[in-house]
Amino acid sequence: MEKITFESLKTGTALEPVAHKVGQETFWKNAVASFDYNPVHNDAEWVKTAMPFKIPKTVGHGMMTMSFMTSVVTNWAVPAMLRVSKITSKFTKPVEQEWTVTCTGVITEKHYISKGKNFVVVEVKAENQDKELLGISQVEVVFPD
Amino acid sequence: MSQTHFPAYQNELAKYFKTEKQQQFSTNFFTDAENYEVWDEIDFSNLKEVDGQNTFTIKAEDFKFYAEGCLDNNPYMTDEEFAKKSPYGRLVPHPLFTTTICFWCVGIKGSGSWIRTPGARNPGQYHEYYEDFEVGETIHIKMRPYDRYEKRGKCYLQYKIDMYNQDNVLKASTISTLILPRTREDIRKFLEGIRGLKD
Repeated sequence: MEKITFESLKTGTALEPVAHKVGQETFWKNAVASFDYNPVHNDAEWVKTAMPFKIPKTVGHGMMTMSFMTSVVTNWAVPAMLRVSKITSKFTKPVEQEWTVTCTGVITEKHYISKGKNFVVVEVKAENQDKELLGISQVEVVFPD
Repeated sequence: MSQTHFPAYQNELAKYFKTEKQQQFSTNFFTDAENYEVWDEIDFSNLKEVDGQNTFTIKAEDFKFYAEGCLDNNPYMTDEEFAKKSPYGRLVPHPLFTTTICFWCVGIKGSGSWIRTPGARNPGQYHEYYEDFEVGETIHIKMRPYDRYEKRGKCYLQYKIDMYNQDNVLKASTISTLILPRTREDIRKFLEGIRGLKD
């Protein structure tokens, strides 16, 4: 297990990216995992005319994008026994089928509070294969000691 | 608001069912839409905290399938043997497992049911975590209306949802936000496959 200390960590550090190509099967599987069966993610016939996003095709769950972004942080934090304490996300563009979603994260803030309460902020963004912004997250990670 | 839409994709979804809860959960969000809360009908003068309809007893399969469902193969979240030998000594949930808990616990009628609204859009979310959820815990939620507002022609609704274990330890909270059809008539349009939004 990698030992990461609050003192040694530098702002500007980039985390390992996460990338997934998604399709209707991804949306269905995410629906089953989350119990979010909103038809805009699942029902290709309904969405042709209902078009909540003005797109006649199903789109991925916002929570799927948020999960991808969060995985950038948990892939780094969980093995190091660091704890995610807060996530704020905004979605800027719905994710369409056959897109590749790439999430990248950078440690942007260090908060010096006290031992056991010090935390960092990781800013994560999700982009498609054309570098269009799909969503952003700020994830706070607490250091236990 | 009657059920008029029987989606063909239901059979496709069923191919992915792995857990007991997935077999039980109502996957058709058109059913019971008549009972969902509606943006312009919620009484913000009476902001009482209410309980969710269901409790969620966590099994290892619930953690594992959530991670797999968001394409995360982190062994701390998906491999029980690996996780038991780790310093945690147990599976670690993906943080967004809170989504699964909220949809399960809200249920299909009454407070919070607006999260199932056909035509809803997700603008972004806020989550706070106090302790990891653990296998064996039974989670219940308490929720209350938090805000309702218009912005650039869109109707936003927010509820604060707190998640507690069986010992009433607060594990996580979320301010759940969606952009919703404004009226019951707008939802009815969506049920008929007509866009019930003005933006």
